[in-house]
Amino acid sequence: MRKRNRGANEEEAEIDLTPMLDVVFIMLIFFIVVASFLKEAGIEVNRPDKSQSDPSDATSIVVTITGDDQIWMENRRIDIRAVRANVAKLLASDPEQSFVVRTEPGATSKTLIAVGDAAREAGVLAVNWPEEAKR
Amino acid sequence: MSRRGNNSGGAASQGGGEGEIDLTPMLDVVFIMLIFFIVTSSFIKEPGVDINKSEALSTGACERGTIIFAVTATGDIYYDKKEITLDGARRMAEAAKKESPKANFVIQADEESPTSVLNDLFTILKPLMDAPLCASTEEAG
Repeated sequence: MRKRNRGANEEEAEIDLTPMLDVVFIMLIFFIVVASFLKEAGIEVNRPDKSQSDPSDATSIVVTITGDDQIWMENRRIDIRAVRANVAKLLASDPEQSFVVRTEPGATSKTLIAVGDAAREAGVLAVNWPEEAKR
Repeated sequence: MSRRGNNSGGAASQGGGEGEIDLTPMLDVVFIMLIFFIVTSSFIKEPGVDINKSEALSTGACERGTIIFAVTATGDIYYDKKEITLDGARRMAEAAKKESPKANFVIQADEESPTSVLNDLFTILKPLMDAPLCASTEEAG
């Protein structure tokens, strides 16, 4: 009883920090548990606006992936391993060229990402993937 | 007066069982950790399906890519551990973008997933995006 009286009157009274500490610890543990340090990594893919995508644009590198995962470039069927070299060759004449990858229904993501990756490795500014034509 | 006397008297606080520990430094550390975790937590909703991601040499970090959709090999779309329809994906994306306007979209596409599903999802997300879509890949090599 003596202590409480003193606490109420004296200016130097000590505050009991225990309840606050409990709350702070619970918050700390909550945020540690919730914090997911997972960092997503991947490749960036652009979608050109409908208005600006011009199929007859001669200044862009176009790669087409057919429905059975074949890769076509400049009217030739090429192997996935050759995409990088071919894109780099075209890019050498004009490094500002945009890169477009077209897909047809039936293609798989594996091929699309492999082509995008190869183009990025070759040094294109961005990988553009216009809307796929409906079957 | 008795407690105060004990504290200031060195002998009692060193030897006595009732000596009080100064909690201030620990509190400082705890507060700093608390603030750190509050700031860094971004409440990512994980799709919660196993995705066999493609490998890519040019894999880079997805800046603020915290809205994650997954497309499985069979073409099903997952978000927040639930399978959703394309229409559901639109609603989820709008809600998520409203909640955290700075967040960017990530699609985890399975190697075998059809591009047509990816394309539909991309078409839906396009009006909401202010950065390129991040197609999640595995670092090669």
